[in-house]
Amino acid sequence: MKLRLPYAAAALACVFALAGCGKKEEEATKAPVSQPAATPINPATAGIVSGSVKLDGAAPKAARFKTDADAYCQKLHASAPLVSEEVVTGEDGSLANVIVYVKTGLENRTFETPKDAVVLDQNGCQYKPHVVALMANQSIDITNSDDTTHNIHPTPKNNRDWNKSQGPKAAKITDAFAREEVAIPVKCNVHSWMKSYVAVFKHPYFQVTTTNGSFQLKNLPPGDYTIEAWHEKYGVTEQKVTVGPKETKKIDFVFKAS
Amino acid sequence: MLGDWAQLWEIVSTPDNVPIVAMLFLVPFYTWYWWRQAKATDQLIGQLEADPQMAKTHHRKVFPFKTGWDREVHTWPYLMRIEFLAAIIVTVILMVWAITLNAPLEEPANPNLTMNPAKAPWYFLGLQEMLVYFDPWIAGVVMPTLIIVGMMVIPYFDENPLGNGYYTFKQRKFAIWTYLLGFNGLWMLMIVIGTIIRGPGWQWFWPTQTWDHNRLIFEVNRDLHTLFGIHDRLLAGIFGAVVVGIYFVVAGYAAHRLCMATPFTRKIYQRMSLTQTLLLQSMLILMFSLPVKIALRLLFRIKYVLVTPWFNI
Amino acid sequence: MPEVQSDDPILKQSYANAILVSSFLLVLTLAWALYQEMFGLRPWRFYQTRFVAAYSKYLEGQKPKQKAAEEAIVKSPEYKSLMERIEAAQKAAESRAQEIRSELAYVDRRNSALADTFMTERARIAALVYQTEISSSESSRKSRKADVDEARNTPLVLDLPTRDGKTERKTLTFPQLEAEFTGLKDRKATLTGEQARLSNGIRDLQQQAKAYFEDRMVGLTVSQLGSLQTAAKKLDPVIRQINVGSAGLVDRCQSCHVAMDPKVVPANLVLTKADLGMAKSGDAPFSSHPNPELLKIHDPDKFGCSGCHGGNGRATNSVENAHGRYEHWLWPLYYKENVEAGCQSCHAADMVIEQATVLNRGKELYRIKGCIGCHRYEGFDNEGEQLLSARQTIRTLEQQKKDLELNVPRVIAEADHAADNTTAQSLYQKANDMRVTTSNIDARIEQLDHRNASLMREEKKIGPSLKEARMKLRKEWIPYWIEHTHEFRPTTKMPQFRLTKDEVQALAAFVWQNALTGPVPAKQSPGNAEKGKQFVETRGCLACHAMGEGANAVGGTFAANLSRVGEKDNFDYLVRWVRNPRERTRPYDPIARVDLGPEDYSKFNKPFVFDLDHDRSPDGKHLLQVQLPTVMPNLRLTIEESRDIASYLITLRHAGASYPPAEFMDDAKLKDKGRALVKNYGCASCHELSGLEEEGRIGTELTTEGSKPIERLDFALLTEEAKRGEDPDGKKSPRGSWYDQKGFFEAKLKQTNVFDKGRLTAQLKMPQPGMELPDRTALVTFLLGSVDQQLPQEYIYKPGDARHDIQEGWWVVTKYNCMGCHNVRIGQQSVLSGLPQYQGDTKDKLPPQLIGEGARVDPAWLAKFLENPSLSTTDTNRNGVRSYLAVRMPTFSFSDGEVQKIVRFFAALGSQSMPYMPPKLEPLTDAERTMARDLFTHPAAPCLKCHATGVPAHDASASAPNFLLTRERLKPAWSYRWILDPSRIAPGTAMPSGLFRKEGDVWVFNGQLPASFKGYTKDQADLLIRYLFQLTPEEQRMLVGRSPAPGGKPAGQ
Repeated sequence: MKLRLPYAAAALACVFALAGCGKKEEEATKAPVSQPAATPINPATAGIVSGSVKLDGAAPKAARFKTDADAYCQKLHASAPLVSEEVVTGEDGSLANVIVYVKTGLENRTFETPKDAVVLDQNGCQYKPHVVALMANQSIDITNSDDTTHNIHPTPKNNRDWNKSQGPKAAKITDAFAREEVAIPVKCNVHSWMKSYVAVFKHPYFQVTTTNGSFQLKNLPPGDYTIEAWHEKYGVTEQKVTVGPKETKKIDFVFKAS
Repeated sequence: MLGDWAQLWEIVSTPDNVPIVAMLFLVPFYTWYWWRQAKATDQLIGQLEADPQMAKTHHRKVFPFKTGWDREVHTWPYLMRIEFLAAIIVTVILMVWAITLNAPLEEPANPNLTMNPAKAPWYFLGLQEMLVYFDPWIAGVVMPTLIIVGMMVIPYFDENPLGNGYYTFKQRKFAIWTYLLGFNGLWMLMIVIGTIIRGPGWQWFWPTQTWDHNRLIFEVNRDLHTLFGIHDRLLAGIFGAVVVGIYFVVAGYAAHRLCMATPFTRKIYQRMSLTQTLLLQSMLILMFSLPVKIALRLLFRIKYVLVTPWFNI
Repeated sequence: MPEVQSDDPILKQSYANAILVSSFLLVLTLAWALYQEMFGLRPWRFYQTRFVAAYSKYLEGQKPKQKAAEEAIVKSPEYKSLMERIEAAQKAAESRAQEIRSELAYVDRRNSALADTFMTERARIAALVYQTEISSSESSRKSRKADVDEARNTPLVLDLPTRDGKTERKTLTFPQLEAEFTGLKDRKATLTGEQARLSNGIRDLQQQAKAYFEDRMVGLTVSQLGSLQTAAKKLDPVIRQINVGSAGLVDRCQSCHVAMDPKVVPANLVLTKADLGMAKSGDAPFSSHPNPELLKIHDPDKFGCSGCHGGNGRATNSVENAHGRYEHWLWPLYYKENVEAGCQSCHAADMVIEQATVLNRGKELYRIKGCIGCHRYEGFDNEGEQLLSARQTIRTLEQQKKDLELNVPRVIAEADHAADNTTAQSLYQKANDMRVTTSNIDARIEQLDHRNASLMREEKKIGPSLKEARMKLRKEWIPYWIEHTHEFRPTTKMPQFRLTKDEVQALAAFVWQNALTGPVPAKQSPGNAEKGKQFVETRGCLACHAMGEGANAVGGTFAANLSRVGEKDNFDYLVRWVRNPRERTRPYDPIARVDLGPEDYSKFNKPFVFDLDHDRSPDGKHLLQVQLPTVMPNLRLTIEESRDIASYLITLRHAGASYPPAEFMDDAKLKDKGRALVKNYGCASCHELSGLEEEGRIGTELTTEGSKPIERLDFALLTEEAKRGEDPDGKKSPRGSWYDQKGFFEAKLKQTNVFDKGRLTAQLKMPQPGMELPDRTALVTFLLGSVDQQLPQEYIYKPGDARHDIQEGWWVVTKYNCMGCHNVRIGQQSVLSGLPQYQGDTKDKLPPQLIGEGARVDPAWLAKFLENPSLSTTDTNRNGVRSYLAVRMPTFSFSDGEVQKIVRFFAALGSQSMPYMPPKLEPLTDAERTMARDLFTHPAAPCLKCHATGVPAHDASASAPNFLLTRERLKPAWSYRWILDPSRIAPGTAMPSGLFRKEGDVWVFNGQLPASFKGYTKDQADLLIRYLFQLTPEEQRMLVGRSPAPGGKPAGQ
């Protein structure tokens, strides 16, 4: 037994020991998730980043799909068989279905989500368009113009995944994705070849290239940005740009055909 | 490894041990205090013997004494005030003690696990220490009984009428020396050893030496007769008996010489009856046996002198 | 008094100062004593006052937010409308209520006016009557009677109020008065009754409103906050204690941890230090229990605090004492990282405990790391012990039987010569009973034999069998491995032993020379490594094994990392292993304790054939161990596939890896030394070694290690350092003194020979397990919790049937790593689902999730499936149910016992009752059948597009099981729920939701219906299910013919 004095000391020590293993995780402040108002962008100073995406080398031959799992589809494509939209190029190898977007540089800004919905149509046993980009919480309308039943099955990593069936010419399904993600594969379990990609962003600075491969990100506030280009087969490449007031930067992306 | 002051502090600060630590200082102090007073009285006695006139007038038996001082003083206030002061101081000490030291409670007793060192309460540590030197039967039963008996018979063989009601040395030399040896010298010492010196495994740890539970010491205790190469049990018994006998003779003679030391003691010796003398002698012999045994054990690592199938000495 | 000499010290000396000083000291000590009494020994006073301040502030801060929330609800239209309705109702009732009130008032007035007189009279008459009744003589009785009548008939004059507020004077005899009185009473009753009826409707509405409010109100209302505040203000510092007499718990923890007291902080309010603005403070024990869920199932009034957390609940005089962190308190408070140890003390029976992830990890590690190999632990991995006891029981039973059989004839003989018939009859009866008993014993023995067979299959070893070492391993590699275990394979279960070069050589030599030499596995031609790689990645090997080293290791950690297999293994053996990992070189005879070879079989001129169907010794007497004791299952691969995989694995090696030649391996002199070492280090408890099969465990039992007296834990030369709080490496220990169980376990696991520090010769042989801190903490937690419990028996958790099944099954499920491929528990992710090749849209290539499996499948079918997952005797190289999956459900050759356990496990998880009685389904009418067919083959209904139909062309692209399995495999109730909303049962499944939509109270198909459905009102989903459960192959063929999905050869037309 020690005297009371050492006791008190020990007690104190013990208290500090407790502090050592203190309740850290509870200190996490439970801040309410409130959406601050969009930071205004001065159109007077806003700049532009534009350019084009090319495929270096010959595009691989598009794979033909075996559509016999569904009579309807087969009938549809009896003459012209359905081909993969994985790599679609325009003249001089400009690459389509590439999403070009601002990766970094906008972290401390917020933007309103557009009211109008993006449409993803199932037409001719294919998703139209093949690649869709939209903002977080922007609603996406999924329609079925086919005379067969499809099911829409997004398989995201960071978003809630769902899987709904949609009968022939059935009413549109409206949904939205809450979190940024590039890019969510969307598939139809009934028609194994049907595939589409949905990219979700927190900001409106993105574009999906068409066969002419060109893109243009308008109304960018001056600053340093990392621009990234995503392709379902060739992955991503990124470039850094600094956009001055009212400046128009040109950057080109080139994917190696492998 | 000496110099482990934390260890020493742990020992002396244990509530059980605090009284013993106090005793370490109090006993010498009071001995000295008593001694001073006794000396004074003896001086006074000297004066009075020298000057019969003074002896007639004088009553205060307490030093200092100067002519012209009162012969007597009143209890109130002169005694009471001192007692009162003493009372206050003692109260303060007790309260501080009560506040600062908790009762030395420990975990619930576990029959499968004896604590080490397992120590008796402090007032029995002397007996426990004695177990090191004698076999349990002697140390645990015979000795304590004899000690008690011895104390009881002191008034019977203490023939010396002097020294009642006043401190004196020269009138009670014999009694006092016996006390100093028997109580201070042996009993107190053994308690202190048992408290501060004896560590795990009842091994001998010098103060500030760490009480290491893993400590191993090589130390063979022999019986006396083995030293003399006697291994036959009967012979050993006889041999032991002889040695003990010799001790008794020698010790008895020593005790006798003590009684004969001065004319004064001789006078007392004359007064004593045979039984008284024998009693006194035997008590003294037994008392001396303890230090002798301690010495044999600690210095010569001798366990027993006399080994019999029934008991050992 | 004579004059006093001035210089007499006794008279002259003054004690004034001494007395002054000492009295002053006395006062001081008195003050000190009082302080101690009030505060020094009661630190909780300060805590409580501090808490009250912070808490009131917090409550105040909450008010605005909650107020807003409240208003939001009150303003909501629903609530408003409710309020209006209440008002309306009140208005409606008002007029009548008014009348009633006035009438009641009148009744009361009148009543009170006459009550007094009535009472007195009644009492008087009662007394007179009594007198009459006890009066003895006839005459006196008469006269008394007269008195009574007189009293009853004397008129009484009363002033009674009337309705119009005036008073009327009335003269009444007692009977009249009585009538009046009772009349009034009845009136009052009727009136109050009516009043109640009136308010009923209103009360219901009010309750509705209240419920509405409470359902939507999150947290406390302002008024509640207010009342809490006032309560907090009034809260006076007292000892708050929980006293559980039955368990001898007296916990005063809440005296400082005030927020834990539900009377102060309501259970539904979780208070954190941050809330109180003390996040940083180290001395603020004010957060409420972080996990109220736990408290719901462990009511503090029954379990106290120290029941789970440890600590000295009674102590209140210092934090150290209260937490019991001093030498004499045997149950100190668990440190935060080990807090779950508290669960173990009562939940030792649970293999997995909800919410106790650390402890669960600890238990898991204890098994998979092979601690169990050397250290016995009650209830862990006890097949061996069971086997022994079973054999023992058999012997005793056989003895019993023998005795009985001896007795039967004696009894009969006795009966034959019995004196009278009754004794004879009873004796014959007795004889019969004995015979029956013997047959029962036979039955039991037969059961036990069966159990034995099961146990022999279940008995697995942690490490590979070293009997095969010679066939399997490269000679030079063995010593290298023993010496550099963790260098070669950092993730291995095998611990690193501390051995000298000679010892290593001796061990290796023993292993090598002790191993079997033949018959050697057949020579194999090399296969296609490319294809092999494919198989490894797709067939599911990665659920248990990992590929690649260090950071870029991919796959499971359950089994060995295969990245350097090529350096150690022999190709031919590897092929055999991949094909059937359980295949032994020689069967082991547990009775004779030898490995039998062809020679032994030829003695009985039997072929040298042994497998699960030929598992008896050649003399047919007893069971043999015909499987290697490994958990690795059989993937039902063809020999070619096995060759491909093996050829791939053999390529996995470090470039230029080479090992020094080891000719000492054949040095016979080393063998005995090696054997001694093997016994000493207990190798045989993890590895199968010839001649050492029966070796026992060499370590201490750890079942109650946590409550081992500290003196019994040998800190050796570190004892003093530990007490002083010095780390073994001389640094200051962050925790101060670590001379306690926790300290011991932590130090020991960190470095198993730490307590050899300073010793001349090493004495500790426990090898070094490769474990990171989190894992070590988990294990320490488990050990700390392993105590002989102080609480009374009824506190110890004993799982009931269902829970028991879960626990039992959990053993098996973890033993074979089912979770490598399947999600079994909610929240648990399989290894495969984490692999890159199963991300994104390939998710549905994963093995099925088994959450709710018990509710899904028929247990009988499940048992059959587990026996043979290919569901076929001929074509076994496939999955029985999901033939379209590349990943393969292997054959585990479970013992019957294990199959039962698994089946019951899933049944219990799905809260299904066993045994399962398939429900009778209402048979289909012809009309319904046609409807079902139409619906089934309707273009809008995609069923047959994904589900296999048995038509090869179609099944090639199919992605769901064949419907023919439904009847035997599934349960109707589950199937019904499934087709309505599959994602609720298996999130991320390929089966789409929204096939049916609710119309009224029936589900109808979501899409245009076939014509035949006109006027069909029943539930269409149910129709479909009933149809599926009577689907026959013919029916299906016919459907495929009809279905627009071609590939099916048109049969219908």
